[in-house]
Amino acid sequence: MSSVAAQEQRRATAAPARASAASKGPRLSRKHREWLAAGLFLAPDVLGLLVFVAIPMVLSIVLSFFQVSGFGSYEWIGLGNYRRMMDDPLFWDSMKITGLYVVVLVPVLFCVSLALGLLVKQKLPGMGIYRTALFLPYVISLVVVGVLWKFLLDEQTGAVNRAMRAAGFDGESWLGSPSLALGCVIAVMVWVMMGYYMIIFLAGLQEIPKEFYEAAKLDGAGPWTAFRTITWPLLRPTSFFVLLMSTVAAITGGLDLIFVLTNGGPANGTSLAIFYIYQQAFGFGEYGYASAMGSFLVLIMVLISAVIFKFTRGGRFDDGE
Amino acid sequence: MLQHGNDAGHPAHSSGTSRRRFLTAMAGGGAAVAAPALLTGCGSAQAKGGNLQFWNFYGPQRSPDPAINAQSKWFTDMVDRWNATHSTKIDLVYLPQPTYLNGFKLPSAFATGEGPDIFLCSPGDFLRYYNGGVLADLTPHMEKAAVDDFGSTLDSRKVDGKVYALPMEVEPLAMFYAQDVWEKAGLSEADIPTTWDQMLDVGDKLRTKTRAGLVFETNPGYYQNFTWYPWMWQGGGDVLDERGEVAFDSRATRQALALWQDAVHHGIAPRTVPAAGDVIGGFKGGNVALWQQGIWNVSSFKAFAPDFPYGVFRLPVPPGGKYVTALGGWSFCANAQGRNPEAAAEFCVWALGSMKDESIDRMVDWCVGAKSDVAPRDTALERGAAKGGYDSEVMRKFKDEIFPGGRAEPRYPPVVYKAISDAIQGTMLAGRGVDGETERAARSISAYTKSYKGASLV
Repeated sequence: MSSVAAQEQRRATAAPARASAASKGPRLSRKHREWLAAGLFLAPDVLGLLVFVAIPMVLSIVLSFFQVSGFGSYEWIGLGNYRRMMDDPLFWDSMKITGLYVVVLVPVLFCVSLALGLLVKQKLPGMGIYRTALFLPYVISLVVVGVLWKFLLDEQTGAVNRAMRAAGFDGESWLGSPSLALGCVIAVMVWVMMGYYMIIFLAGLQEIPKEFYEAAKLDGAGPWTAFRTITWPLLRPTSFFVLLMSTVAAITGGLDLIFVLTNGGPANGTSLAIFYIYQQAFGFGEYGYASAMGSFLVLIMVLISAVIFKFTRGGRFDDGE
Repeated sequence: MLQHGNDAGHPAHSSGTSRRRFLTAMAGGGAAVAAPALLTGCGSAQAKGGNLQFWNFYGPQRSPDPAINAQSKWFTDMVDRWNATHSTKIDLVYLPQPTYLNGFKLPSAFATGEGPDIFLCSPGDFLRYYNGGVLADLTPHMEKAAVDDFGSTLDSRKVDGKVYALPMEVEPLAMFYAQDVWEKAGLSEADIPTTWDQMLDVGDKLRTKTRAGLVFETNPGYYQNFTWYPWMWQGGGDVLDERGEVAFDSRATRQALALWQDAVHHGIAPRTVPAAGDVIGGFKGGNVALWQQGIWNVSSFKAFAPDFPYGVFRLPVPPGGKYVTALGGWSFCANAQGRNPEAAAEFCVWALGSMKDESIDRMVDWCVGAKSDVAPRDTALERGAAKGGYDSEVMRKFKDEIFPGGRAEPRYPPVVYKAISDAIQGTMLAGRGVDGETERAARSISAYTKSYKGASLV
C-alpha cells in the first residue's frame, strides 16, 4: 500500500474513534470553559485573600474574646476585652484623633488629588516629568518619608523653620506641639498619597469624551461651568473609588509614618487608633484586647463604607443619566 | 462608567482558543503551586530542633560605623568560639534595632511559641517575659562567686533569689555638654551646675534660636521614662515603694515633672530632640549645649567626632536632694520554652557569667573595646580599668563619679510604664497640670497593681 493510501485509511478509522470519545464524556460548553478559566484565574487571589485576610479576620474576632498573654496562654473572658475597651479613655482619645484625622485628611487629599489630576491632564511640554515627580512620594517607603520630614520639620535646624526665620517669623515646634503635630502628619500623608489618587483621577478624566467639552464650549460654557456640569458628574465612579479607598487608607494606614515621625506623641496627640492597637498588641503583648479594638475598628470602617455607598450610590450614575 | 464602542460581551474569536487553554493551564498550575506554598507558610516557621537561635540587634552586620562593626564582631567571635567548643551550635540572627525594639517580629515569635532560644532583654521587658514563663533560670549554671561578682546589677534580673538574665553592660546617664559652646559663653569648669536651678540657668544662657540650651528626651517610650526616673528619685520619690505599694503621688514626682515642664515652657529645652535624635550630629552641628545622655555615646563620639570637645557631668540635684542616676543596659536571656533551654542557659552563663577568665575578659572587651560602658561585674570593671578602658577623662568620670550613685532601670510592666509616660508627656509637652497628671497616673498604677499577678514589681 502506498503511503498516501495508508494515511487516508488512518484518517478514516480515526474519525469515528474521535466521535465515539466525544459521545462518551460530556464536553464542556464554551460558557462553562470560560467559567472554569475565570475560576482558575481568580483562585490564587481568592486563596490569598482567604489565607491572609478572611481567616485572620475571623481568628482576630475569636481572639478578642480571650485574655492572651503573648506567650501562648489563652483564657476565655467573653466580652471582657470589649468592656475594657469601653472604659479605656486612651482608646477613645485615639478614636477621636482618628476621627479628626480622617475628616481632615480625606477631603484635603480628595481636593488636592483632583486639582492635580486636572492640572496634569493639560497637554503641556514636559508633563510626563511633572506627573512622575508628583507620583514619586507614593513609591517611597513611609519610613524614609518619616525620616525625611523629621529632618525638614526639625525645631532648630529643619528647612521649614529656617525658611520661616529667613522670612522674619519665629520657628515652630511642628512635631513637638500637640496642636500642630497631627496637622503635620496629615500634611505629610497628603504629600505621600496625592500622586496615587492624582493618577486615579487622571484615568477618570481621560475617560470623559472630548466631544462633551467641545459641545459645551460651543454653547458658551466656561471652564467652571464645564467642570460643574460635565467633569464632576462624569467623575462620579472615580470620586467614589477615591473617597472609599482614601477613607479606608486613612483609618488603617500611616502606622509606619507615625512610628518614625512622632511615635504617637506629643502627649498622645498623634496616637491614631491603629497605632494604639499596634502598641497594645506588639508593645504590651495584649493580643486579645488589641483584637477587640481591631474588630471594633473594622466595624466602624464597614459602617462608614456603607454610608459612603449610600450617599454616592456606589458611584453609579442615576437612571437615564 | 461611560463605554465608547467597546466590544464588551463579545468574546474573542476562536483563534484565541489555544491561548485561552494555555492561560487556563497556567492559572491552574499557578494555583496548584501557590496553594501549598501559602498553606505551609501558615505553619510552624521553624521545626523544633537544629541550631539554637540567638536574636540580637548587633550582628552579624556590616556598617560604615566602625563601632557597630566592632560590636558585630564581638558577637560573631563569641558565637564562633562557642560553636568551636560545644556540640550544640548557635546561629546569630540579626534584627535591626527599630525592628527589635518596636517591631512585631519578636513578640509574634513568642506568641506563636517560636521565640528565639537566646535573646536580648531590657529591664522594661523583663517582667513580661518572666511572667510569660519564657525566662530560663540561669542560677543552676552559675557559681556563687559569679553571682556575687555581679552584685546589685543583678537585682532587677532576679526573682526569688534566682537569676533570669545576665547583664552585658551598665549604661549610666549623665549630662553631656559642648565645651566650645561653654567656653564661648564665658563659662568655666566652676560653672558646671550641681543643682536644678543652676542647670536651667546655664541652659537658658547657652540657648539660641538654632541651639537648644538643655535637652531632655521628648519621644514617648520606655527610653523617655528611663531618662526621667532619676529626676524623681533624686527628690526621694518612687513609683512603687519597697513593699510594692504605689508611691507615685509624691512631692518628688511633682517637682520632677515640673522640672521638665518648666524647661520646655521657658524655651530652655526643645519640644523635640535636635537633629532628629542624632546626638553626635546635634553637638557637631552646634545645635545643642547640654543633653541628658548615656555612656554609650562616648564610643559614638570616638567613632564619628574624635576631636569634638565635649565633657560630661553628674545629673544636678534638687534642693535637699540626693544624687541618683539611672543605670540601663541589656541582658542575655535564655528561652525556657526553646529548643534546648539547658544549652541556651549554659551559653548565657558561659558567655558572661562564668568565673573563667575567658568570660570575664569577654565582658571587658564588650564594655571598653566594642562599646563604652561600665562593666556589670566587679572583676570585669577592675580588668577594664587595668586595661586602660577608663583612662580617658570622660570614661573616668563615668566610672568614678557618675556610676557609683546609680540605680538600675526599674522593671515596670507596660501599664505602669504607660501611666508614667502619659504623665511626662502631658505635663512636658501638652502643658497639663502637674498635680492632676500625677494623681491620674497614680490612680492608673494603683488600679493595675491591685489586679496584678506575677513576680514582684520592685
